[in-house]
Amino acid sequence: MPASRTAPRRVLAGVLGTAAAIALTACGGVKTTSTGGDGGEYPSGNIEFSVGASPGGSTDLITRALAQGMAKELGVSTPVLNKPGANGALNAKELQSAAPDGYKIAVQNASLFTITPLTVSPAEATKIDSFDVITGVSRDDYVMATNPKSGYTSIKDMKKAGKTIRYGTTGVGTGAQLASALTFKSAGIKATAVPFDGGAPALTALLGNQVDVSTMQIGEAIENVKAGKLVPLAVFSKERIPYMPDVPTATEQGFDVQVTQYRFLTAPKGTPQDVKAKLLDAAKKTFATPEYKKFNEQNSLTPMEVTPEEVLSSLQSDTATYKKQLDEFGISLAG
Amino acid sequence: MDISPILNGFGVVLEPANLLYCFAGVIIGMLIGVLPGLGPGATIAILLPLTYGIGPVPAIIMLAGIFYGAQYGGTITSVLLRLPGEASSVVTVFDGFALAKQGRAGTALGIAAIGSFIGGTVSILGLTLLAPIVAGFALDFGPPEYAALGVLGVLLISSVGNGHKLKAIIAACVGLLLATVGRDTFTGAERFTFDSLNLAEGIDFVPLAMGLFGLSEILYNIEERHNQVHSPAKVGNVWPSRKDLRQSKGAIGRGSLIGFFLGVLPGGGATLSSLAAYAFEKRRAKRPERFGKGAVEGVAAPETANNAAATSSFIPLLTLGIPANATMALIFGALLIQGIQPGPQLVAQHPDVFWGVINSMYIGNILLLIMSIPMVGVFVRILRVRPAILAPITVLITLLGAYTVNNQVYDLFLVIVFGLLGYLMKKLGFEPGPLVLAFVLGSMIENSSRQSLLIFGGDPTGFFTRPISGTVLALVVLVAVLPLILKALRRRRPAGRADDTVEENAP
Repeated sequence: MPASRTAPRRVLAGVLGTAAAIALTACGGVKTTSTGGDGGEYPSGNIEFSVGASPGGSTDLITRALAQGMAKELGVSTPVLNKPGANGALNAKELQSAAPDGYKIAVQNASLFTITPLTVSPAEATKIDSFDVITGVSRDDYVMATNPKSGYTSIKDMKKAGKTIRYGTTGVGTGAQLASALTFKSAGIKATAVPFDGGAPALTALLGNQVDVSTMQIGEAIENVKAGKLVPLAVFSKERIPYMPDVPTATEQGFDVQVTQYRFLTAPKGTPQDVKAKLLDAAKKTFATPEYKKFNEQNSLTPMEVTPEEVLSSLQSDTATYKKQLDEFGISLAG
Repeated sequence: MDISPILNGFGVVLEPANLLYCFAGVIIGMLIGVLPGLGPGATIAILLPLTYGIGPVPAIIMLAGIFYGAQYGGTITSVLLRLPGEASSVVTVFDGFALAKQGRAGTALGIAAIGSFIGGTVSILGLTLLAPIVAGFALDFGPPEYAALGVLGVLLISSVGNGHKLKAIIAACVGLLLATVGRDTFTGAERFTFDSLNLAEGIDFVPLAMGLFGLSEILYNIEERHNQVHSPAKVGNVWPSRKDLRQSKGAIGRGSLIGFFLGVLPGGGATLSSLAAYAFEKRRAKRPERFGKGAVEGVAAPETANNAAATSSFIPLLTLGIPANATMALIFGALLIQGIQPGPQLVAQHPDVFWGVINSMYIGNILLLIMSIPMVGVFVRILRVRPAILAPITVLITLLGAYTVNNQVYDLFLVIVFGLLGYLMKKLGFEPGPLVLAFVLGSMIENSSRQSLLIFGGDPTGFFTRPISGTVLALVVLVAVLPLILKALRRRRPAGRADDTVEENAP
């Protein structure tokens, strides 16, 4: 077929060009990670930040903000790689078996270590002992809110209503679920959990008055609260949150429920001390920049830039408290 | 209605810098749309740091451009290589790939570009005029309504298949079964995960579709080619004819409306809209058997609908602060970084952002249409490449695309497994379409109906007493029963089919 023989060469070039363009697009921004360990001064190559969640979520945005700042401080590239799956456990498993050379690090969620183990088999639970904590990052608190149509303004109002409350949560094994379950149980309110797949659908269902209340992260609810489309009932932090100063904590309302999500920077266990010091230094300098501070404010995040020891003791005490409270009230998070 | 903010919005968009960002966005979007897997979400995540310094309006204009530009690009691989990169373009594959095999790839791509342009523009008009009203409508859709829509969707699947009805149903059941893999969202129980963390969140759409559609086709062709001499696909008709346009006019109009309204629903809206638009055209066609064998309307309807839906999915974000899908979540994040909280107050507090992004879509759509015309000519030539060269490149693109979704090698094995499954299915006369679509709808039906029952306190009559879910379920009954009634009527007047006048030129 001579007719089809002449043209293909040009066409092939076109196709290869297209394929190359596609490949370039695919690789844009994701440079190959250096293996490091060449004996030189750390860091001598890219530092890869992996995220155990999809792009766009809080963990992803925080990682990107931090990675960007640390890239400037350390003078290397810090590609961010999303490895979603199993609430972050998949990423954690990969990170813990990576070489402890400081070239693969990740911001991880407290809930993966404090709440998820309450819902999965012990073998699957991720343990903090497998990681070196570099520094605390920030706290992301929960708020319970209702649709103005319900007429509730506090936890007690729900009790007075005397009906079964249907509450939306952001999923099984999340702090939102734990906080609401503990609140309803300790207040003696009859309630049914309706788990949604993340904050957005839980918010949607509440705005549409499909559920009576929903518990979400502050950043997810704050705009609708400001616009008067949602009424906040309680926050679950120890003290009131600066972004919602008028909203009382659950403790203030007489219910001893404190559940919070926080994030911290981790490296595989056994990372050398000098590498950790460099990372900590870069993180601290990033925390101090006005851009990063603004980022925290816009996302309603409270800085929790504490030492690794404080992170570890928070994790320990939270795990113990949650377990004790769940046992006390006979709650099983696995519906 | 005060139109001065709208006009100011045009002023904002027409600033040269903003036009440039719009242009850059749609070009990037179109290119990454061509690569299945690397979706607009991942691209926006990579480009996010670039937007920090450029101010909120150009940033969101560019990111929005990437999003709807990718919808245009996604058509190209669906039609040419049978690789649907997103659930909303699965339906396009049926007739698009059939047309490409007949040497009418240009027709399919051309009509898709025109349909996308019209669908997008109708949807932007809707967004401009109706956004607040339609946003309220989206909130009326709770779990029971989604459950009902999902059931309607599965029913429609049975009508999109072209082969054996029973085989389509079996494939759909397998799809529903595959949707159950993963950790149960309600109890955290492991289902069919075999203790693998990789399966904990279920099977991803991309490896499933890449395997069942793309890889299986290649495997099948390799076998076929042993038995016959390869004749390169003809690449005639680079542009749809007047007749094609006339034939798809109605499909584009109806697709625009279906896409606009269903697209407003967060989660699943775009997929449902393309499926509904296709099924609707097939049902109203005088000769439905043409569908799946290269009917132009079969490309026009879903492509129009999914573009209209992509545009209207901005409504929940811009008016309620609800990200309707993963890409919207990223745009939400990008706005946050710029110090703008998307929510009910956005239009009042930041009219420049609100109207700037909406009006940029008018321009972006025109740019995309202009770019698509020469691109169609370039892309259809891909089909003239010898299969011995094209097939490995396609496999490479497929695997690369599947890898970029989660950055997991595991997903590559999934592609291969589903490729083999797809090959066996094709040998045995099963189509992958019903399986993939049922897979997409499966988790929506399951989760929504379980959520509904929790809300109803276990009382299933709630599905029928709520006005919207009740209506949708009534529609389900109607769609299921109507063909039987028509059949009965037809039997009473056997000569009724002679009025079929639409001719076709399938070989």
